[in-house]
Formats: sequence, C-alpha cells, structure tokens
Amino acid sequence: MSLAWSFYLSTVLVYLGVDVMACWGLNLQYGYTGILNFSFIIYQSAGAYTAAVLTLGPATAGSFQQYIGGANLPFPLPVIAGGIAGGLLSAVAGVIALRRLRSDYQAMVFLVISLIATAVVTSDVGLFNGPAGLSIIPQPLSTALNLSLVGYRWFYVGLTAVICLIVYAFLRLITSAPLGRSFRAVRDHEQGAAALGKNVTGLRMTSFVIGGVIAGISGAVLVEFISAWSPGGWLYQETFVLFTALIVGGTANNAGAALGALLVPVAFLEGSRFLPQFGPPGLIDALQWVAVGLLTLIFVWFWPRGVLPERRRIIKLPGLQQAGTGRPRPVDYEKTAETR
Amino acid sequence: MFVHAIGFGIVTAAVMALAAVGFTVQFGVTNILNLAYGDVMTASAFVAYVSHSAGLNPWWGMVLGGLFGAVFSVLLNRFLYTPFIRRGARLFTMIIVTIAVSLILQNCLQAIWGPDFVSANISAGASVHVLGMIFTASQLILVAIAAVALAALHGLLRYTRLGKAMRATASDPELARNCGVPTRRVIDGAWLLSGLLCGLAGVALVTELGSFDFTTGSAFLIPVIAAAVLGGVGQPYGAMLGALVVGLATELAGTYFDPVYKDVVAFGVLIVVLLIRPQGIFAEVASQKEVAA
Amino acid sequence: MTSVQRQLTTPAAQAALLRVDDLAKSYGGVHAVAGVSFDVPRGRITGLIGPNGAGKSTALGMIAGAIKPSQGSVLLNGTNVAGWPSHKIARRGLARTFQQSSDFAGMTVTENLLTARYGQRGDTLRGALLGRRYWRAEQESLTARAADVIARFDMARMANELAGSLSGGQRRLLEIMRALMTEPEILLLDEPMAGVNPALGERIEDYLLQLKQDGLTMLMVEHEMAVVERLCDPVIVMAQGEILAEGTMEQIRSDQRVLDAYLN
Repeated sequence: MSLAWSFYLSTVLVYLGVDVMACWGLNLQYGYTGILNFSFIIYQSAGAYTAAVLTLGPATAGSFQQYIGGANLPFPLPVIAGGIAGGLLSAVAGVIALRRLRSDYQAMVFLVISLIATAVVTSDVGLFNGPAGLSIIPQPLSTALNLSLVGYRWFYVGLTAVICLIVYAFLRLITSAPLGRSFRAVRDHEQGAAALGKNVTGLRMTSFVIGGVIAGISGAVLVEFISAWSPGGWLYQETFVLFTALIVGGTANNAGAALGALLVPVAFLEGSRFLPQFGPPGLIDALQWVAVGLLTLIFVWFWPRGVLPERRRIIKLPGLQQAGTGRPRPVDYEKTAETR
Repeated sequence: MFVHAIGFGIVTAAVMALAAVGFTVQFGVTNILNLAYGDVMTASAFVAYVSHSAGLNPWWGMVLGGLFGAVFSVLLNRFLYTPFIRRGARLFTMIIVTIAVSLILQNCLQAIWGPDFVSANISAGASVHVLGMIFTASQLILVAIAAVALAALHGLLRYTRLGKAMRATASDPELARNCGVPTRRVIDGAWLLSGLLCGLAGVALVTELGSFDFTTGSAFLIPVIAAAVLGGVGQPYGAMLGALVVGLATELAGTYFDPVYKDVVAFGVLIVVLLIRPQGIFAEVASQKEVAA
Repeated sequence: MTSVQRQLTTPAAQAALLRVDDLAKSYGGVHAVAGVSFDVPRGRITGLIGPNGAGKSTALGMIAGAIKPSQGSVLLNGTNVAGWPSHKIARRGLARTFQQSSDFAGMTVTENLLTARYGQRGDTLRGALLGRRYWRAEQESLTARAADVIARFDMARMANELAGSLSGGQRRLLEIMRALMTEPEILLLDEPMAGVNPALGERIEDYLLQLKQDGLTMLMVEHEMAVVERLCDPVIVMAQGEILAEGTMEQIRSDQRVLDAYLN
C-alpha cells in the first residue's frame, strides 16, 4: 500500500471510530431515551478541549496560544478527563433543559445552548484560545513508542478500536439491563413510565450524562490524533450530521448507529473527497451540505426507520405456546407517543 | 452613546418586527417551527441583490424580495412540509426537515454566490436627526416600510375574512375546521403573508447591515424567534413588542459589552422564555397543538 | 378536628383504602374541581361518573399525581400524597391507566410487563454495570410472573408483538396487565372501555370482576352507564366540579339532582 493511501486510510479509520462512538452516545440519548439533543457537538468539543489542555502543558505567557489550566498528563488520563468534562457539561445543560417541554421547543433549547457555548468559546480568548483554537497538541505515547509516521498512525487506529470496544461493552451493559428498558419506557410514554414509579427526570439525566461522557471521550480521542481543535469546525451543523447518521443507520440499536456513522460522516462525506476538484473553493463543501440535507429528507421520507431499524426483542416465556415470531408489522409508534 | 444605541435599536427592532411577525403568524397558524425561515430571508436578499445588479432601483429589490419570499414559502409548504405531515411526521421530524431545508438553501446560496460577503449597495442617504438620535435616510425609510407593512397586516387580521380565519385557526385549529373554516386556504394565506414579511425583512436586514453573505439570515433567525416567542406564539402584536424588547436589548448589550454578546443576549432571552413561560407574554394558547396541514 | 385528622377514626374510614378530602383544582378563575371529598372502599370497584366537563378526569389526575391539586388531601392508606409527583405515588401502590393508552408502543407485550415493576435490580446505573449475573435471577422470576399474567389474560399469541401493533382494546388490556405486574393496592381506571370493541370490552369486564374477587380495589371513571351498572358499587356522580350524589346505582338513578345534571 502506498504511503499516501496508508496515511489516508488510517485517518479515515480513526474518524470512523470516533464517529461511531459519537453516534452511540447520541443514540443513547435520542434513540433509547427520546431526548432531542441538538447540542451534542459541544460535549464532544468539551472533551476535546479538556484533553488538549491536559496534554499541552500549562500555557506560558509568551506562547501563541492562551488557555486555562494545562498539564502534561500521560495517556490515557486526558481521554478520561475528556469524558468527565463531557459528562459535567451535559449535567449542567441537562439541569437547564431536561424538563417537560414540547419536543420542538426542547430541540430549540438545546440548539441555543450549543450556540451560546460556541459563542462563549469563540469570544473568550483566554479560555481556549478563541477562534484560532488549540494546535500542536502532542500525540499520546508518540515519543515513548518511537514509531515511524505511518506506523504511529496505525497504532492509533488500534488504540481507537480498543477504546471503541470499551465504550461498546459499557453501553451493552446498560442497554441490555432493565435500565435500558426504562429508558425506552421514558421515550415511549413518559407519563406511563411515571405511573409505574419511574423517575423520569432522573432517567433522562442519567442517559444524557452518559451520552455526554461518551461524546467527551470521542472528542478527546479525535483531538489527540489530529492535534488541533477550533470552534469553527464544530458547529451545530455537525450535530445534524450525526442525527442524519442515526436516521440513515437506524435508531435505538447500536449496530444501526455504527452503520449510520459509517455511511454518513465517513462514506458520504469522506467519499466526496475523491471527486475531482471543480469550481471555486468552498463549492464542494457547500454541495456536500446540500447533499447531506437531501439525504436526510430522502431517508425521512422513504425509510424513516433507517437501514437497520430497532429490532423487536423476543423473550422466551416459560411454559407458554407463543406465536408471533414472524415478520413484525411496521409500526409508527412515535405517532402515538407524540400526541400528548 | 446610550441614545445612539437606542437609535440603532429602533432600526433593528423595525426589521426584527417584520421578521418576527411573519414568523409568529406562520408558527401560530401551522404549528411548524420553520428553522429555514432565516434562509428564506437570505434568499430574498439575494433576489434583491440580483435585481439591483440588473439595474433596477434598489427599493424595487425590496418588492421583488418580498414577492419571492411569499411565493417560495407557499411552495415550500405545499410541496415539502405538507406532504411530510400528511405522511404522519411528528413535531420532531418536522424540525429535522426544516433544518435540512435550511442547510440545503443556505448552501445552494453559497454554491451560487460564493462564501464571501456581497454589498447591499443601497446608499445610506442624508443624515437625519430625530430626538437626539442620528439616522440615515434609508434607515428611516426602512422603519417607515416596516410600520406600513405591519399596519397593513393589522388591518388584514382585523377586518378581512382571511385574517379572522387565520386568527381562529391559530387559537384552535380543530374547532376552526369544524366551523367550516377553509383550513387549506387559510394555511396557504398564512405562508404567503409570512413569506412576504420574511422577504421584506430579509432585504431590509441586508440594507441595514450594508453587506451580507449566505449565513446572514440564519444568524438573524434566533433573535427573531426570541422576539416571537417572547411575545407569544401566534400573537402578532406580541411579536412586535418582543422585537422592540429584543432589538433594543441586543443593541444596548452590543454597545456596552462586547459586540459578540449581542447574540448571547438574544439566545438568553429565548432560553429563559422557553423554560419559564413558553407561551410568552400574551399567551392565549399554552398547550400542545396538532400540526395543521 | 381538621379534615385530615378525621381520617382513621371511624370503621368506615378504616375500610377506605383511599380517602379524598376537599380536593380542588382551579385554573385561573375556573374551578375544574371544587372541593370534593369521598372514600374509595377496599375491595370494591368505585365508579366515578358524570357528564362531560364534570371534573372526573381532573380528580383522577390529582389522585394519581399527574395534576397538582390547588388544595385538599389525598390519603392513600393513611398517608397524604396530595401534590406528590406521580412516580412517588405509584411507588406507594397506586396504579393507573390513561384515557389514551399509555403502553410503550416500541416494546413488545412482554417487555411492557417486565418493565413495570419498580425497584428491579438492573434498573439502576450501578445495577446495570454490575452485569447480568447481578440481575438475571430476578429477571427470570419476573418473566415467569409475566408469563402467568399473559396466560391469565389470554395474550399468549401477542406476547412478542410490539405493543404499538395491537388493537385499541388489546392495548387497554395490556395497560391493565402491566399495572397488575406492580402488585398494586389500588388501580385507577380512566375510561377503560373507550374505543374498545364490544367483544373485547366484555372480556375486560370479566377480568375486572375477577380482579375484584381477588381483592383488588379499583376506582373507575367511565362514561358507559351499562358498564358502570355491571361493575361498580358504590358510584359517585360529579357535575361541574362538584359531587352530586353517592350510592349504589339504583340510588343514583333515582336521584333527581343526577337526572337534572345529565339532562342539562
């Protein structure tokens, strides 16, 4: 494999791992618990900034980038800290926004929270170096391992894969436990869930914060690889890409989320990189977004449940003759849940 | 400085009022949170820009922009939003749809005219002093246009059958339908009116700003929604009041603090209203309504 | 003696599982419910009837915690739960159904039943993270219980179907089955027969009578007089936010005030 290809492929794979984790996090919040978190991107950013700051070391007075905090922590501490930062920020946002509100208003509140966060980070230069963002972030273990440039990249691919597996295992524990059912109960009919003794607000917060932690981890993993992060690259549209990924791939199941991450941010957006450069700069970018928008509309129209819809969980009941394990009839269950 | 800021605030409020009233009329009647509204404003501004480049008087651009907004909005509803609703889309799905439309529209504009700023090309005109505040002639014309348009809207809502039907549908669509209100026509009317105001506001906005790019309208959208929600969804007079409050507040914040805080003030107003009193000041309808299609 | 102190001092009061005292709700200036008091005796199906807008569902909502009362007390087994959030009242043994079925449409019938019981081992974050070994045994016994309930209500065929694909009446039945999984002290039913086809309605009635024989206390808001007649004793009549009359169905039927209210 040529050097350029190797470089490119390893980069795509790291992005894939990061996007898969991000989709899993958003899926827990939206697919399982029904939270319309349009601010997801800021928890990823929080994780990225935290990890960056903890890897860069303290900001010196004359240096070209200013930021708060700073330490020279070894891997994997910055990533863990990134997860915690994502969790903390989502706890704050959750306290503000997770309440009984009609669904489109709630989506708006989240959207505005993300706009506020972006505005704050962009304008307060002392926080995370303002619009320029942070850069030249040392990559974890690079000196310790002393690999070639390409070798290091493949090492990082392996690292990302391991972290993905850990996140997946963690998610599996949660969604396959009765807790996962409680999340879905809150999603399907929050009043019905409360009538069964479930603390709806508490469940929402739990799901939201866990999703935020995963978002933070994914941001941290990415920033340690690409060595830079600026607010302009992580705007509310990025959350929309993740939602499109979930719509395309299928919600409330981790396989669907992973597939969505593969198809949308990776295959669709990266794939367009191979198109010959045409037109003025920025044209391809703009057309990419048009395409994402169209893709969303097409899927919402034709296949709203996505490529891998949420599957029915079949439970064997002792001592009963059961039928009903055939092809499930399609159900638009969201319709009934929405008419509150 | 304070008086200056007030002056700016009044002009901003006038433009915002046009946009906010259009937004609230449409939201009130159809219950669709149309996040593409700001981008229709931008598109209308580009229509005016094109007409100006073709040699037409810039104020004609406003008319054309308004017409474009009206027609585009009606078609958008007829051929995109309504079909999705008929298919059973819920409130959340519609928000995704409108964001998708917003992204498509915005980026089509970028694809055509590029990412750079373009100039609105309307000469400011002579300075006029009013009550210690300094306005340019074109600013005063904008305020006048806004006042006229809103007065016309007031007349329409109050005295015409369509206006009454729209108010009825906004407060209780089920009842309105049962009383034989021709909902389909009312909805078209709402989109037409709202689109007209949206187009006018778009052109007015870029006239006031002087230059604009493909994101100008959508950046203005959140303050517009803040004004509309503050005044009460579906309440046109509330939206006017909301625009005044938000317009003045953002200008004052921009003058006394960092200009970037202009936006944050608007965001803050919106969040506070949504969390504390989502029905706004002049609440008539607080509960969840069905989407009207 | 305050109204709350009046509670557990008479034998009649002790027989009441639920005691509502001076419960009221006003919105703005409108009194949806204007100070009602009644008992729900143990082991019986109490009917709550009245013309549209009488405040029955509001009263039910206040008892269940979905609506915050403007005043008054709701004594459940002696504890005043008025104003409590609904999930806390549910944990005290109160189960309810909704006018528009609250079943979880995205989950199967069995999952609906399994998720009902409060306090399951795997239902907390800590419990989930401790893994299958921690909560599996409890789930197995819950599954066995669910199988019993499904068999009892003849829903075996639909056991693994999505709740959203069931008919209206089946969903109503599922709601009742789900409530039973919580082993409640009292079951509140909000118009259980609305929108249910007559054949299934008959089955539901039979099940409710069986449950009554098993000793379950119920409070039922219902419109269809025939159903109320067959199932309920005592019956409480509300109109315009107030209680008009209480008694057996015959007594109600011959009460002039009730006739007036319904004819108006």
